[in-house]
Amino acid sequence: MDAPVALWRKVLDRLDEAGVLQHLVLIGSWCIPCYGEYFAGVPYTTSIRTRDLDFLVPSPRHPMPRVNLPELLKDLGFVVDFRGEGYMKLDHPELIVEFLVPERGRGTDHPVSLPQLGVNAAALRFLDLLADRLIETKVAGHLIRLPHPAAFGLHKLLIAPRRIKDAKAIKDKEEAFRVLNALVAKGETGQIRQIFQGIPRGWQRRIEQVLISQKQSELLEALK
Amino acid sequence: MRVIRSVLKEELANSLRMRREYERALKQLPKGVLIRKQIRGHGYYYLLKRESGRVRFEYLGRRISLGMDHRYKEAKQLRAKYRKLLAQVKRQVSFLERALRGRSRRAVA
Repeated sequence: MDAPVALWRKVLDRLDEAGVLQHLVLIGSWCIPCYGEYFAGVPYTTSIRTRDLDFLVPSPRHPMPRVNLPELLKDLGFVVDFRGEGYMKLDHPELIVEFLVPERGRGTDHPVSLPQLGVNAAALRFLDLLADRLIETKVAGHLIRLPHPAAFGLHKLLIAPRRIKDAKAIKDKEEAFRVLNALVAKGETGQIRQIFQGIPRGWQRRIEQVLISQKQSELLEALK
Repeated sequence: MRVIRSVLKEELANSLRMRREYERALKQLPKGVLIRKQIRGHGYYYLLKRESGRVRFEYLGRRISLGMDHRYKEAKQLRAKYRKLLAQVKRQVSFLERALRGRSRRAVA
């Protein structure tokens, strides 16, 4: 087992013991290897994984056990890093843990305080899409929540055009196609369509434009 | 290739930031280690520190508070951990800089 995975499991152990893991959703590139079990039996490979381990807090006001996460992870070697407007990240040479919440209303440039976890979180657009449809999978004896692969893929296509760095947009699209094509191979085109049809028309158009520009006709067909 | 290069660049920026964070965290830990000396059947606590390259024993008394004991024990463990992780981050920085430099040299050649 490589070092980031070993540390990732220790982080999951701590979060589960503290009773907060069930209130979090794992998002970002760490979802890709976790979908392996879901896609068992269909061609599916994992891609480049960065050190960023992102957790979505879908309902920041929802009651959950009180825990000081920086203290909880301190002896593993995590140090707190404050960036920009005061956003917190928990840094370790193997992993960078960050918390995110869905942005609602007008949005804000300031971090959202999560006093029950002892951290703050960045509020980002479109995260509701990930939080609305979840699946559960077992990792190292822990039940973790992930966005449904269809929601994950569509979200990546939605945010790709908003990326400032081209390479990030390419990576988003590559991850989206990987997951969505695996869903098509698994015969779950209906799931993609169902989630796609439940999102606002503007978002749908943006996703269609990406698929057209990337000549992904099979996926475009799956949305109809 | 562009994606890999961009990921490497981002990871380098992260590692450079982390290096600063670990250096800062090490500076913030209480300096020195607690030592209990046994002299003629009695225990005496000292704080062992290094100042300008010289080792100094600062006498603390026959008893110290539990809080102080805990603070210095934790600091000792964290110092060892942070130094190890700082060394790891420095190796990452060196590797990532080499990887990115190597790529641009080949591009020039």
